[in-house]
Amino acid sequence: MSAAVLELQRITKRYPGVVALDGVDFTVYENEILGLVGENGAGKSTLMKILIGLIQPDQGTYRLRGAPVVIKNPAHAANLGVGMVFQEGCLVPNLSIMENLFLCHEIGFRHFGFLSKRKMRDAAHAALGTVKVAADLDTPVSETTPAVRQMIEIARLLWLSKLYQQRNPVLILDEPTTVLTDDERNTLFSIATELKSQASIILISHRLQEIVETSDRILIMKDGKRVANIQARHAGIPEIEQMMVGHAFAADRFREDEQIPPGDQVTLTLENVSKRGVFEPLNFEVRQGEIISLVGLVGSGKEALCRCIAGLEKPDTGSIKLAGKRLTPGSPSEAVRAGIGHIPIDRRSDGLALGMTIAENVNLLVLDHLKVGGFISPQREKKNALRWIQDCRIKAPSPSTMCVNLSGGNQQKTVIAKWLSSKIHLLVLDHPTRGVDVGAKDEIYRLIRQLARTGVGMIIMCDTLEEDIGLCGRMLIMKDGQLVNEVNCPPYRKPSPSDIISSIV
Amino acid sequence: MPNTVTSMLPHRSTSWLSTSATKGRKWFQRSGISGQLLALIIVMGIFTIGTRGKYLSLVNLQVILSLAAIPAIIAIGLHQVVVLGAIDLSVEGVVAFCVVIVGFLAHNKFNANDVGLWIIPITAGVGGGAGVINGLLNTKLKIPSFISTLGMSWVLWGLAVFVSKGQTIPLLNNPLRAVVNGYVLGIPNLAIIAFLIFAIIQLVQDRTRFGRYLYAIGGDEVLSAQAGVKVHQTKIFVFGIAGVLYGLAALFLAVKLDSAQAITGNNLLFPAVTAVAVGGVALTGGIGGAKNAALGALIVTALNDGLILLDVNPYAQQAVNGAVLVVAVALTIDRKKLGFIK
Repeated sequence: MSAAVLELQRITKRYPGVVALDGVDFTVYENEILGLVGENGAGKSTLMKILIGLIQPDQGTYRLRGAPVVIKNPAHAANLGVGMVFQEGCLVPNLSIMENLFLCHEIGFRHFGFLSKRKMRDAAHAALGTVKVAADLDTPVSETTPAVRQMIEIARLLWLSKLYQQRNPVLILDEPTTVLTDDERNTLFSIATELKSQASIILISHRLQEIVETSDRILIMKDGKRVANIQARHAGIPEIEQMMVGHAFAADRFREDEQIPPGDQVTLTLENVSKRGVFEPLNFEVRQGEIISLVGLVGSGKEALCRCIAGLEKPDTGSIKLAGKRLTPGSPSEAVRAGIGHIPIDRRSDGLALGMTIAENVNLLVLDHLKVGGFISPQREKKNALRWIQDCRIKAPSPSTMCVNLSGGNQQKTVIAKWLSSKIHLLVLDHPTRGVDVGAKDEIYRLIRQLARTGVGMIIMCDTLEEDIGLCGRMLIMKDGQLVNEVNCPPYRKPSPSDIISSIV
Repeated sequence: MPNTVTSMLPHRSTSWLSTSATKGRKWFQRSGISGQLLALIIVMGIFTIGTRGKYLSLVNLQVILSLAAIPAIIAIGLHQVVVLGAIDLSVEGVVAFCVVIVGFLAHNKFNANDVGLWIIPITAGVGGGAGVINGLLNTKLKIPSFISTLGMSWVLWGLAVFVSKGQTIPLLNNPLRAVVNGYVLGIPNLAIIAFLIFAIIQLVQDRTRFGRYLYAIGGDEVLSAQAGVKVHQTKIFVFGIAGVLYGLAALFLAVKLDSAQAITGNNLLFPAVTAVAVGGVALTGGIGGAKNAALGALIVTALNDGLILLDVNPYAQQAVNGAVLVVAVALTIDRKKLGFIK
């Protein structure tokens, strides 16, 4: 085995009420890809923040290339050849690609006191060459795709380690693939594999498949401890999942035994709804407690259809009726008032008020019910929030925790709690389990089943076809803006994915 | 270090991501001032027709340039604060205070002081000092710039009136009088000074690390700090430069009027903010440079000059200016949404 480049020993980090990291040992060797997995809240991000100096450990030692170091901040870490590519990206959006690449390290480009654009250009081309990006260097980063941004960040970290002559830099990729298309993801991993000759990479992902395929070694964390350190070639996904969660999953992954037959009453009726150039006139119904899965490739029109139902887009023709009552097209506020909930794909920006507390978010739609004598009663507010926090098993220190501080899974549960508490009739779920770990996924499935039992009709679009099939009672398949097929998915008699794929493509 | 910079091996054989679609953008579109140049041409065109050519006379163009100079100097100082994502409302107070300083220290009718040309570094320094205090209040005490600079404006304005007892201090034989009122090749000297200030600031923005940090902070302060940008230092410096430019503007105003009084500072903030917004500096930060501020000042002055030539009622002029400000902000915000989302 090659030499260790980075060694953390007995790292402990406590926060009020929680031990985020409990005596964790963590070693990264030269030229390896290390997969790091664990549930939300297992301590992965705390560990990574310590690696790049965003926070300091309470106890433990940090050694880099054999020598003990104290990392003061991310900039210091980058100079020492340890850098992180964040999920949200950490490039300044209004600066150009070139300006971002060299931000804060421009001094080597000075020429008679002024920055030499020509020197910078040459270096930028070279740096981007290592990650195979050919881009116009003057493009503002905000105009580039997430894939390009990631590559720019990687190029920047590699360039910095060259600049400061740090051998074998350590790159941390935090959930790099959530924002990428399949093609981009493959390219990312092929570049990562190539970069192994000059760097070590820590890969964090909830997609265990890609962890197993890409990494050389896998570390599993649970509750602030390192529970396993295994060679990737010996690893199987079920074992990893089991170690992450601490117990085995039943074969019934999507809680099929809780699936109920749809009620008699029709909740939602679509008649001749169409949007020019996006989807053709469609007719279908959703019954009480029924889960309908919309399946189709990108461009099939399913996203636009869901947005029309939630009132976020205005269809060109047709009518949408909720419990027989026609809704004004294109009015999200009327949709909400009538009882249509929408869980958007990007909960960080659309689904939650991140700067507000869990309680405020949960109560947002039911404030009218919490009034006593015309004013909102703090007691009732607290009671309602606590009830739903318990019901949905949102893990947080208190109802007044800011949503921005919650993990992805708990944010998603808060969104669901908000709709659950507001007595809706129909819920549109746009990729409800995206970016959520195994344990939280199961909780979300449980909540979806619970919603169905209370009579809420649902339209879902999932991350994987298996999830769609497992969750829904009926599947509508869209292709090129048309409803091409309808498949029943009763419990224990589900169709196989291969049956469905033929009608999707 | 330059060696390590260039020694990175490019293996550019297969490029998989490309943004070459934007490659063909011409300088004109890319400059960030295309819309402003167009607006200036339209404004001048309309008034030329409206005044039957009188607007384009040499005398009137000289008037526009000379009137635009001081708003431009102030706007160039102010816009950098706006690029940071902050705002500086202290203009009027700083100018009033600096004007009174000029009244007391330059050769004047009230006392025996005469610091001669030293008045230039003194007013610049006093203005800069006020700016640095603005910066310190904003960064160290974490007071929103909107409040700290508004407070600063009232403090300094009050002090200026108090110290000068509200009087007008006539200046005597000021050595700068000839410079401030003179022309070179028909161009007002003040306009040349404003142009030089513009050129220096623009160069600094384009070609120094400070310039990069300015835009980085305006784009995202937290991320910039993580990348190693000295956020506080840069912000204090930006507020300081703004103060220096307000101080110089105060000096030129006093010399031009040949007297010093606190009310010289009045009604300077609105044109400066309008110039910054009209020039295309996004009030949300990160976008727009000295060229935008200078051009904005020119547009606003050209507009007002035209309205005067057409004999528009002064109150109606004020209404037009207010509308222009709001429309300009609406346009810059809209354009920004296309660019990036913060």
